[in-house]
Amino acid sequence: MSDKDDTETPVLTETVPDGNCEPAKNSECVDQNAKPGSKSEPVGSTRKRPEAKPSSDLETSKVLPVQETTSKDVPQTGWGYWGSWGKSLLSSASATVATVGQGISTVIEKAETSLGIPSPSEISTEKYAPGETNAKENENSSPVAGPFGVFSTISTAVQSTGKSVISGGLDALEFIGKKTMDVIAEGDPGFKRTKGLMNRNSTLSQVLREAKEKEAVRTASEVTMETDKKTHYGLLFDEFQGLSHLEALEMLSRESEIKVKSVLNSLSGEELETLKLELQQLKETFSLAEFCDEEEEEKKGDEDFTKEITELFSQLHVSSKPEKLAKARNTAHEWIRKSLTKPLAEKGEEKQSEAENNERVNENSVEDIHAFAIRSLAELTACSIELFHKTAALLLHGRKQEVMAIERSQTLSQMTVMLCKELSFLSKEFTTCLTTAGVKEKADILNPLITAVFLEASNSASYIQDAFQLLLPVLQISLIENKMESSRHEQQSQRPLSE
Amino acid sequence: MTYAYLFKYIIIGDTGVGKSCLLLQFTDKRFQPVHDLTIGVEFGARMVNIDGKQIKLQIWDTAGQESFRSITRSYYRGAAGALLVYDITRRETFNHLTSWLEDARQHSSSNMVIMLIGNKSDLESRRDVKREEGEAFAREHGLIFMETSAKTACNVEEAFINTAKEIYRKIQQGLFDVHNEANGIKIGPQQSISTSLGPSVSQRNCRDVASNSGCC
Repeated sequence: MSDKDDTETPVLTETVPDGNCEPAKNSECVDQNAKPGSKSEPVGSTRKRPEAKPSSDLETSKVLPVQETTSKDVPQTGWGYWGSWGKSLLSSASATVATVGQGISTVIEKAETSLGIPSPSEISTEKYAPGETNAKENENSSPVAGPFGVFSTISTAVQSTGKSVISGGLDALEFIGKKTMDVIAEGDPGFKRTKGLMNRNSTLSQVLREAKEKEAVRTASEVTMETDKKTHYGLLFDEFQGLSHLEALEMLSRESEIKVKSVLNSLSGEELETLKLELQQLKETFSLAEFCDEEEEEKKGDEDFTKEITELFSQLHVSSKPEKLAKARNTAHEWIRKSLTKPLAEKGEEKQSEAENNERVNENSVEDIHAFAIRSLAELTACSIELFHKTAALLLHGRKQEVMAIERSQTLSQMTVMLCKELSFLSKEFTTCLTTAGVKEKADILNPLITAVFLEASNSASYIQDAFQLLLPVLQISLIENKMESSRHEQQSQRPLSE
Repeated sequence: MTYAYLFKYIIIGDTGVGKSCLLLQFTDKRFQPVHDLTIGVEFGARMVNIDGKQIKLQIWDTAGQESFRSITRSYYRGAAGALLVYDITRRETFNHLTSWLEDARQHSSSNMVIMLIGNKSDLESRRDVKREEGEAFAREHGLIFMETSAKTACNVEEAFINTAKEIYRKIQQGLFDVHNEANGIKIGPQQSISTSLGPSVSQRNCRDVASNSGCC
């Protein structure tokens, strides 16, 4: 209420003499900080962003197994190091644009070669997927303001190959959902293209916003597709305020990053080395190494999610609770459960006419399931990002540090893994719903829906991981402030002795 | 769905003056007497129509608590409009306006339109700040002024919409560079400058602003 009760958190930049803030020194510090770990650090494996490769490498990359290409030889581009976010994003983005040329088909081929599924070209020559017509229209339009927005570009591209994906059977699909959609996201052609077009300083949320706006143009110009809005991930994500929270999180992250840099600039000698080491340790917890390891672990009971996320959250010691997220997640699961049990119950009843009636009343169409799936994924992702944003705000606000920054980042890392797994699990459940409800549907209708669900789940996971990376500078500054606070305490307690 | 412009707003002011309630009234048309403390920032969005143009307001409702102050400053950037809110029943919230104004001016674009809002006008019996004082403060600092009640919805629409009108007017006058996102304005999808900056410069705005002080 009044100014007296709470003194302000000391703003670090104020304690730093201005003369030390040379930009050249600045970046040097961070670079040095980044380089030593760059060879061993598995940051890239989590991000699974495409690396900048000369085009001659493209041929070979097709043949390489997915694991290899995604996890081992990913160089440290800006994605891994959000420390220098503003600039490096651009450079890495434009670098990746070069690789985007290889197109989604290559990426899918990459995925499929490693999965032992026939290549899309083999299959799509036999049958013509509905998405392909769309894809052709897309080619005609200008890449800048074409009527097809980013997300739909991806999904049409995927749609056209959807057939080949499903032909591998459900097992393969599940496997794809889990693993390979990452690779498809890696190709992410529309998304990267958008980034490449932005020549100014751009941030993730800007890119997403732009993508969304282009999509809005498309939806507006195509009056026919009312359902499009309902199933458009980007629009829904914005509706759930995901973009806004992401933008706000970016702001906090950037500001923290500036503070960290100026603190590093103000230090020298041993003090600097110690701090750098600590910051490096913190950074390592952001590599999400365990994400790869535990991939095979299966889903536990239903109630666990709420419990687990709440527990993880309480470990952060911030006064915010993940209720909204848990609620969104539970709603999705409840819906799935109902959707899956209904048809089964009906089969039990022998009266066919009645069953048919029920079917019409109760059973969701594949379009309904698809729409709900996309909506749930968008909501869950938005809630997750909101949670990360709130966490950042509370970390920066909280003056008392009961928990070490490194512990917090470990918890947050676990949380990220958990959320991504949840998304993967949800997408599998949704596709099970789709396959159950769509037994009578033609593959042309069903397959694109299934791939779209997997694709958006993978996009969702990317956003969550990106948001998680934005927390690094926030935790770094929190660590620094904590150090300063405790050294101040030491000084204060020593003073009476020395006097 | 589509819009000609998107304006970013921030709502600032002491804790408990009713920032979140104003937003809720504006976006959802309802009043919630008990509100959780805002952590960092919350969001709301609504489409309004100004001079026949669809404008999307993207509103950042910041935390008022002093301890969040250094964080909320980070959110100011790129706002085209600010609602600076005080509570007419608590003088200290009025006394703090200067410091809020300083923050706002320092951390955002110089063209930002600021609307001063004396909220809780329904609590006339407990009034602690005279309407004239609010008006005088606004005049002195070049702000627009209104008294509102998030509870009765009185002037809430007007406060948000008049701010938008003022921003729109500044765009028409060329005071805002709509291509610079740091100004908190974005041209909507589908809009090109030629269509959005047509010759139909409206002078209706001023009249509307004047006629809006009706209910409070």
